[in-house]
Amino acid sequence: MKSVVEILKEIRPEFDFTTSDDFIGDGMLDSYDMVTLVATLDKTYGISISGVEIVPENFKNLKAIETLLGKYGVRS
Amino acid sequence: MSPIGKVAEVFDAIQKAKEGASGFVTNFFPVQQKLQGWVDHGELFAELRDGSAFFWRKDRDFWHLYFCAASLASLKRAVPGLHSLKTEPVMIDLVGNEAALGDLLALWESEGFRHYTHLQRMARASQSGPHRSDANGTQVVDAGKMDAPAISDLLGRSFDRYAEQLPMLYEIESAIESRQILVVKCEGMLGGLLFFETHGFTSTVRYWLVAEGFRASHLGSALMRHYFAAQSVIRRFVLWVIADNADAVQKYQHYGFLPDGLVDYVLANEKIRP
Repeated sequence: MKSVVEILKEIRPEFDFTTSDDFIGDGMLDSYDMVTLVATLDKTYGISISGVEIVPENFKNLKAIETLLGKYGVRS
Repeated sequence: MSPIGKVAEVFDAIQKAKEGASGFVTNFFPVQQKLQGWVDHGELFAELRDGSAFFWRKDRDFWHLYFCAASLASLKRAVPGLHSLKTEPVMIDLVGNEAALGDLLALWESEGFRHYTHLQRMARASQSGPHRSDANGTQVVDAGKMDAPAISDLLGRSFDRYAEQLPMLYEIESAIESRQILVVKCEGMLGGLLFFETHGFTSTVRYWLVAEGFRASHLGSALMRHYFAAQSVIRRFVLWVIADNADAVQKYQHYGFLPDGLVDYVLANEKIRP
């Protein structure tokens, strides 16, 4: 199963997501990418991320995404 | 619809629309700073209907309509109740991957909207090595505050206000202050400009144009090269272009931009005249 870093790399191959603490602030992910990311996470991990969870804070960095996935029982 | 007085009201309304949903249907991708500007200038209005949130943004003589709904089905239930659709000129942008937009397009077309045009996003990864600011003797400078009205006028004459999200004068003034508009002047007149927005490692080319009468003077090339050279830390450049504007698409391809799969279908209701 793909890791979160691998998924992010597929969406934006030009960035190194392991070096940033703020993907949104650093311009590495925009709102459109977030929609793609949510759909990919849902599909990859067989979950359905709730609409209220789709906010920038939950996709700010790797830790935030892993915390979000943890709520759905996913250990990435 | 009621006027929005605080940005927080926007996010509250969006969260309400998302409650209990496993998915989310929207065409609203606001950036905080832009939202603040719309709210400060009284341009943004909200309408909550059947669990969906709608945002109306006044733009010159027409409206942009944005929606946030828990699902396509709930959006379908809410849209017929939007009475302003029958009386006001309204534009809607549907943004996403082409394959994912079919149902939304069908919904809005069934409510009387027609295809107006469509844009595609193009992206360019930063190329390694130093960028050459080959200005060919042309002087590219940051726009000054006094240039704002001329920039506004040139943008208004050169782009489609319904499809290309033209900035208001206050947005142009703010961009000038942030040094995000490059210009070339010829005998005191505005010969060309490149208007961009940089956010972290990504920069968006919003408008790039050369005024009529100054074309074939390589001003456009000078602007683009200057821009790339000045944005040396940027890893990703993006822009939106009208997809059937072959000339513009070809020019961007020349500078290494390629379609990245994201499209923007622009729809107009019957109150928008062709």
